[in-house]
Amino acid sequence: MTLAAPVLPAPAGRNLDAVSFPDGIPGFEACRRFVVLASDALAPLQRIDSIDGPAASFFCINPSSVLPGYSCRLSTADLQRLDATEQTPLVWLALVTVEATGTVSVNLRAPIVINPERMIGRQVVPNDGTYPIRHLLLRAE
Amino acid sequence: MLVFTRRRNQAIRIGDVEVRVLRVGRDGVRLGIVAPPDVAVHREEIYDEIRAANRSAAGQSLNPEDLATRLRRQ
Repeated sequence: MTLAAPVLPAPAGRNLDAVSFPDGIPGFEACRRFVVLASDALAPLQRIDSIDGPAASFFCINPSSVLPGYSCRLSTADLQRLDATEQTPLVWLALVTVEATGTVSVNLRAPIVINPERMIGRQVVPNDGTYPIRHLLLRAE
Repeated sequence: MLVFTRRRNQAIRIGDVEVRVLRVGRDGVRLGIVAPPDVAVHREEIYDEIRAANRSAAGQSLNPEDLATRLRRQ
């Protein structure tokens, strides 16, 4: 794998490009800090690696590049947990899975949302979500 | 655990949340939920499904650069 560079720069006064996930993510509740990595060879994918707790590494993609017009409404509770307002530009990432069949799917139902100003992230499940957990990205070769 | 008996069209209020029994069938109960927008309301299974999807998304033996190439070709 090509060396990947962090996507999100560390805010001034912080020396790590870590995004804190106060609740971890479901199934990986002990992972409280992740880095988001990207490289030309990896594009349009990005990688999310845990740097605390058990090793966990995910590939992800901007859901808007999968489905133009993709949009979810965050609850005020989710915005508060991200220390964000309706105006805060947020980073959205959908987790990519290669199924046992070779089919590649992407979880549009529960995206990872990051507030880059505060470097806080969370996997959200929007109430109005009608997007599938396993949206087809690529058929098996 | 608090346990209530409710009939059709009767409700329970939990803080600002109203849970109303709309229909009682042989295999299931249809519930209507009225909740403020900041309260997450989901079937319990959705959390299990997301946990399972996250586990299968983590640590896969895939070739990401090959996958990225296929995605760029699309």
